[in-house]
Amino acid sequence: MCVVSKLKAHSTARKSLIRTLIFVIVILFLGSRFDAYNQGQLSVVLILFIGVLSVTILTGISGQLSLGQGALMAVGGYCTALLMTNYKLSLWIAIPVSIIGAAIAGLLLGVAAARLSGPYLAGTTLVVALAIPTLANRFFSVFKGDEGLPVDVGYSPKWFSNTFGEPTYEQWQLYVALPFAAIALFFASNILLSRSGRMWRSIRDHESAASLCGVNFSRQKIFVFVVSASFAGLSGALYGLRGLVGPSVYPVSLSLTLLTAAVLGGIRSISGAFIGTIIIVFLPDWIDLVIDNFELSEQVSNYMPALISSVLLILTVVINPAGVAGTKLHKHK
Amino acid sequence: MLKVENLVTKFGSVIALDGVSLSAQASKITTVIGANGAGKSTLLRTISGLEHPAQGIITWQGESIIAKRPEDIVRMGIAHVPEGHAVISELSVEENIAMGSLFRRRKFKSDVQVALDEAYQLFPRLLERRKQLAGTLSGGERQMLAISRALVSRPQLLLLDEPSLGLAPLVVEQIIDSVNILCRTTGLTVLLVEQNANTALGVADHGVLLSLGKVVADRPAAELKADAALRAAYLGY
Amino acid sequence: MDTFLSAIFSGTSRGAIFALVALGLVLVWRGAGIVNFAQMGQAMFTTYIASTLIANGNSYWIGFVVALVSGAALGSILDVLVMRPLSNKKKTELLSSDSMRAAIPVIASLGILGVLQALAGIIWAAEERGFPAPAKQEGFTVAGNVMPFTAFDVFVITCVAITLILTSLFFKRTGMGLAMRATALNQEVAKLSGIRTNRTRTLSWAISGAASSLAGLLLTPSSNLSPNTLDLALFIGFTAAVVGGLDSPVGAVLGGFILGMVISFVTFYDTPEDVFLAILAVLLLSLIIRPHGILGSKDVRRV
Repeated sequence: MCVVSKLKAHSTARKSLIRTLIFVIVILFLGSRFDAYNQGQLSVVLILFIGVLSVTILTGISGQLSLGQGALMAVGGYCTALLMTNYKLSLWIAIPVSIIGAAIAGLLLGVAAARLSGPYLAGTTLVVALAIPTLANRFFSVFKGDEGLPVDVGYSPKWFSNTFGEPTYEQWQLYVALPFAAIALFFASNILLSRSGRMWRSIRDHESAASLCGVNFSRQKIFVFVVSASFAGLSGALYGLRGLVGPSVYPVSLSLTLLTAAVLGGIRSISGAFIGTIIIVFLPDWIDLVIDNFELSEQVSNYMPALISSVLLILTVVINPAGVAGTKLHKHK
Repeated sequence: MLKVENLVTKFGSVIALDGVSLSAQASKITTVIGANGAGKSTLLRTISGLEHPAQGIITWQGESIIAKRPEDIVRMGIAHVPEGHAVISELSVEENIAMGSLFRRRKFKSDVQVALDEAYQLFPRLLERRKQLAGTLSGGERQMLAISRALVSRPQLLLLDEPSLGLAPLVVEQIIDSVNILCRTTGLTVLLVEQNANTALGVADHGVLLSLGKVVADRPAAELKADAALRAAYLGY
Repeated sequence: MDTFLSAIFSGTSRGAIFALVALGLVLVWRGAGIVNFAQMGQAMFTTYIASTLIANGNSYWIGFVVALVSGAALGSILDVLVMRPLSNKKKTELLSSDSMRAAIPVIASLGILGVLQALAGIIWAAEERGFPAPAKQEGFTVAGNVMPFTAFDVFVITCVAITLILTSLFFKRTGMGLAMRATALNQEVAKLSGIRTNRTRTLSWAISGAASSLAGLLLTPSSNLSPNTLDLALFIGFTAAVVGGLDSPVGAVLGGFILGMVISFVTFYDTPEDVFLAILAVLLLSLIIRPHGILGSKDVRRV
């Protein structure tokens, strides 16, 4: 029994590792082909991908709909920014610490949310997403209010430039985001294929049956929240490192963007999360390509991405709730 | 007349009705008996449109009612009183009864009040408690209320699901008697589902014995009542 | 003392509007089992319609009536086009679980909110514009003192009171109201009674749409009109509905006034910036102390 489960864990880890390696190679290849602008976009994809994974884990896997992931991203972002500006820590130390910070926030949120379900949870987390960024003004001396805290990824260290050549700023952004995204992907894939993944799916599908089988329902629910918050915190930390950590960087709409990406791609799968993120990040560029051919006012092109992505969101849930990637990938329950 | 042919209803992979055929003759009481889980309630729920059958035919007065919505089936004269005294506890007795006649208000305005009065006449206790919330009624009164709600829709066919469930024998007798009188005097067709076979077969004209989703006997009620071997095999007494 | 009075008056007037918002949410929740996060997006849209009419020289009242009617129409259209197909969807693998079935309409309503806000942005430009009030927004003068109570406040409270009375009469006295209550309480019994539940659902969307349009008309004179102006009202309305009990219309009204007072007192005695945190605090407190709300029924998980 023990041997079997060990073997299984082994093969799960190997499967996830292979996926992650392929992912890294594809990103590096794309990164080398893209121009500076698209390299920047690609690093945004990597960063938001981690955030979308937090939605996939929470909503797709365990069935809890949270609209407050943006607030958890803000927690990760502020932690990193404070550690980097006040304690002059390197981002490689600040980010892991921030993940712990976000996980603690997720724990608090999870404890509050464990007894909620459905629209109650959605609404409450939405209010959380609205209220948390206002703390920045409340404690102005620490968080600097609306101005926020400027932080960035800085420049590559000497050894890196010496080995791989001097990267441009956009390339360096990409190289910073990539290892974190790869680790996130590895963990997410492992979670999905593993025992806890199965247990969480059982929460989603058969709440009462799961509790009868001895799954401690609220403890698992809280645990999912913590894991999901860690992903969101990581994503938020990297998101802030694009230049600024402030309330305007983590608006309520950020949470909705993550959800939209997760649903469009396919809320049940990791590849769906990635596809959804690509759609959301590159949609404005694609729309620009099309509407450049028409003479449209600026206000039309400003609102077009939001309009198209919202229409896609509605069409997805009405016509094909499984999203682009479908549900095939994780049929084994 | 109601005719059911080769009806199959599934819940996921569970087959609740496995090729059931039966009919309910006009102005007669037909009872469907069987043990727990035989598919009796599913049968009624499929007829009234609450469940969708996987295959089979249901015709009512020569017209197919498969794939029709419950609210349209009621309009065709089939009223279903589901299991467990289905009333809305948060509404008053009056409102519960009136609910069943809402859809007739426009076309049969003058008859609506008559139907309501008849319901109160059948169960005078409901008249006394008109203003009370249905949740405050006893089990028997709730069953009467559920039946009244069905009757004010002026059905030609009444689907009655386990009216005896959880009620004292005296109350059961009173309710079954009322239904019997109704059938004999107004020509109402009744399809009565019961676990309490003796009571049901006592008033019914025809009996159908259901077991694990299949019809195992379909005979006149008296004959079925007399068949001790069959009863012992399927009902356990 | 003056501050206290001002807070009370402003809390009453604001609370009346939040009561309306909460009532709109409760109506759709009871009637269709959905918390409609697009509600104030609908209200924003219809307020823009009214604003355009008024800007083109029509009277305030034409704009007012058109906004209410289009609010009802928009609500029903959304139900028929989006929500009804969702609720009639067959159980697929994805929709097999209750939690996902509950999440999907919420996601759809967020999509609707996005569409409405983007459309409003495209049609009516991004720049903010004001919205007129039908009555003066300066305080009454009593014995030479300017009172913290305006003619517009009177108008607001009258509108809300009339709406509340009309809806409660509708639900208590009419057959359609009975049908809607029955559908909300027990869909199966309602269907078996011959009630066309699809229609009653659409009707609850329509009434809710009209009520929230009214809320939009009453809220915007004190701020500006932009695609996002009414977002905050949604958060407050949701909190009010949860505080009062998501399935209780009376509770919603009560919750609206409680929130109105809380926000007003925070604004007057603390700073307006803390309003968001106050809302969150009220919401969390209410969920901890009384998860089903002051007047809600115990079954929180009703879907």
